[in-house]
Amino acid sequence: MTTLDAIVPATHPRVTPFPPPPGPVQFLGYERAYWRLLIRGAVLLAVTLGIYRFWLTTDMRRFLWSNTEVLGETLEYTGTARELLIGFLIACAILVPIYALLFLIALNLGTIGQLASVIGFAALTVLGQYAVYRARRYRLTRTIYRGVRFLQTGSAWRYAIYATFWSAIVLISLGLLYPLMQSRLERFKMRNTYLGNLPGRFEGTAGGLFLRGILLWIIVIGPLIAALIGVIATFDVKAIEDLARGGGEAAIRRMTTNNPAFTAALGLGFGAMSWSFLAAVMLYPVFQAIVLRWWLNGIRFGDVVLSSRLRTGQVYGTYLRFIGWSFVFSTMASIAVAICYLLIKLLTDKPGLNSDGAEIVAAVIGFVAYLAGALGYSTIYQVKVRLGLWRVTAESVDLKNTAALEHVSSVGAPSSPVGEGLADALNVGGF
Amino acid sequence: MTSSGQAYYFDGATSARHQVTVELAPAALKIHAADGGLIAEWPYAELEALSAPESMLRLGRIKSPVLARLEVRDQALAAAIDDLSIPVDRSGRTERRGRMKVVAWSVAATLSLLLVAIFVVPEIATRLTPLVPYGLERRLGAAVDTQIRTALDTRKAGAKFECGDGEREKAGRAAFDKLVGQLERAAALPFPLRVLVVRRDDANAITLPGGLIYVFEGLIEKSETPDELAGVIGHEMGHAGHRDGTRMVLQSAGLSFLFGMLLGDFFGGGAVIIAAKVILQTSYARDVEAAADAFGVALMNQIGGDPRALGTILERISGSTHSGMKLLLNHPETKDRVAAINARASSGPRHPLLEGTEFAALKHICMLS
Repeated sequence: MTTLDAIVPATHPRVTPFPPPPGPVQFLGYERAYWRLLIRGAVLLAVTLGIYRFWLTTDMRRFLWSNTEVLGETLEYTGTARELLIGFLIACAILVPIYALLFLIALNLGTIGQLASVIGFAALTVLGQYAVYRARRYRLTRTIYRGVRFLQTGSAWRYAIYATFWSAIVLISLGLLYPLMQSRLERFKMRNTYLGNLPGRFEGTAGGLFLRGILLWIIVIGPLIAALIGVIATFDVKAIEDLARGGGEAAIRRMTTNNPAFTAALGLGFGAMSWSFLAAVMLYPVFQAIVLRWWLNGIRFGDVVLSSRLRTGQVYGTYLRFIGWSFVFSTMASIAVAICYLLIKLLTDKPGLNSDGAEIVAAVIGFVAYLAGALGYSTIYQVKVRLGLWRVTAESVDLKNTAALEHVSSVGAPSSPVGEGLADALNVGGF
Repeated sequence: MTSSGQAYYFDGATSARHQVTVELAPAALKIHAADGGLIAEWPYAELEALSAPESMLRLGRIKSPVLARLEVRDQALAAAIDDLSIPVDRSGRTERRGRMKVVAWSVAATLSLLLVAIFVVPEIATRLTPLVPYGLERRLGAAVDTQIRTALDTRKAGAKFECGDGEREKAGRAAFDKLVGQLERAAALPFPLRVLVVRRDDANAITLPGGLIYVFEGLIEKSETPDELAGVIGHEMGHAGHRDGTRMVLQSAGLSFLFGMLLGDFFGGGAVIIAAKVILQTSYARDVEAAADAFGVALMNQIGGDPRALGTILERISGSTHSGMKLLLNHPETKDRVAAINARASSGPRHPLLEGTEFAALKHICMLS
């Protein structure tokens, strides 16, 4: 025993009843509780053919929000499953006629029909972005912090057109202008975001994200572009004319055997494609970490400044855990399927048995196995990747000038859940 | 029993955190400021437990437009409030009961949905099919044709998808048309058929809405007599005559609507929907195939071909079929089909459908120029 120990009193007098947490943001939830919530949800999803999803989504959000503690106070999610269900029904009322119309137009072939499918696709893309914005508004207005509601203003249609325009630009630039899109869209969103009367804004710059990400872009997309240039440069224009005129195999032979440079470029092209795919998969966590850090570093609420200490290794960790768990699950699932297969074989090989009955049993078992597999993987994904990322991202956040959070005034009211419904029906949107 | 304790209070007007003392009065919960003044009084019947981490009871007032919150972290106090207030139920029993009702009704809805999908959708499609005008059916066929061509046309050696237009293919085409002509005359369908041979290696044939029949090159290779080929074409004409393609489109649209639109997508639900559709549609297909077989056999009886040849080629093509997975196969088990075909075959007078030289030419219908 040292002298120091003797000085420290045995019972430490607590200054406040609740000691402040170590970092400004902490995640309090236990993974075990989330597993329980999701597994029960998966079973109910299966027996209700997915109708339970509104309740499960609400439960997931409640868990994530209420366990995220910022400066000693947790967030509160006030949305309800009933709201999501109503929003979904309204979205159905809007979308069913649109789908029916598109189907009818597609039947009417010719240029009008083909044009209609293009226009229909574009319209649904814009509508999807509209839904994303409205859904964000729904979630923000259901998020309460210290008795004050988050808000989102701004026209969802403007956002939808803006976002569609930028997506097209990113596509045309082969992803090079992605930082510009992200910064523009994030600015639009944050400019219209408030915590009570505390206005949000976004200070991340396109240039900042560009510099952090350009190396990734060169590694993933660079070889593809080089190969494309190679193919075009070595292209035998005359051969393609022959081909168009019906030269057949002779023209193809001319293009390949008589033009070794072109063949080499084509081979390089396939190599580049496989490389890009592999690199994209392997480097995705790096990309995600870069974007998340850049995004968090750019967020402001009044004087409050966010920054993030998120490490790339943490993001890799969540994906590796997902892969590990999936591997265990796959092994167990294969054993279960093998046992089922043997059982079916025993059943069907019995002579004199009603073969239709055995067949239906086999089909049902197969269907159940498939369903269990799909739900199993997505449950593992939700726990290991979504929750894992949420936790490491939230706990990586640092806050400065937090005094502003102490006296925010409450403004505004909750918004309608139609956006969420549309997003659900169109398959866009996340949490 | 605890009758008072410490908590945090947010008044809903600003984000300021007030440390308060909660007093459990007989009818209401009284919230006192640090200086002892009464800030708020919430009747127990109006309390609502809101979403919060496990270590905390977060209270609000039911249906209050003001977001005033009381955060109780003192477990003894939280338990006391739970006891006093009827709406506050930390065990979650009330909510679970409400939720079980949702689950029970969803299961009921699922059951009736499945029953409709299995029994009513094919019935509706069957009733609707005769009402589809032929012009619309042909357009539908053209739309399906575009998709089929993108999916199936391998552009083998840069050649056209259809066989029979090349210089060395003409003789084969003539023989093929002769064979088809005999069958089509016997079928006497109320609309014209178009039967084409296409460059595709699988031993198969397909019928599109509007009377377009594609016979794959692989099938011609596999058939050893004109009667075998004629049997398969007769079967496909059965599909055309029964307007099975249109019915399939109607069924598919019905199922898509039932499963896709009403249920949405979650947790890979889209794939589940596709799987369900495949299983349901192939299970409808069994009767349809049997009917097409019967049609084909009747045609062969009529034109004096060998009706049993359809069974012969079926057995040759489907050589090894695993039992147990029958439901997932497009066609009912071959053994059953062959038995049904042979039972329907008449033993009337026979005559060759094509001359030997004609059949030899037909075998070369996809020779290219």
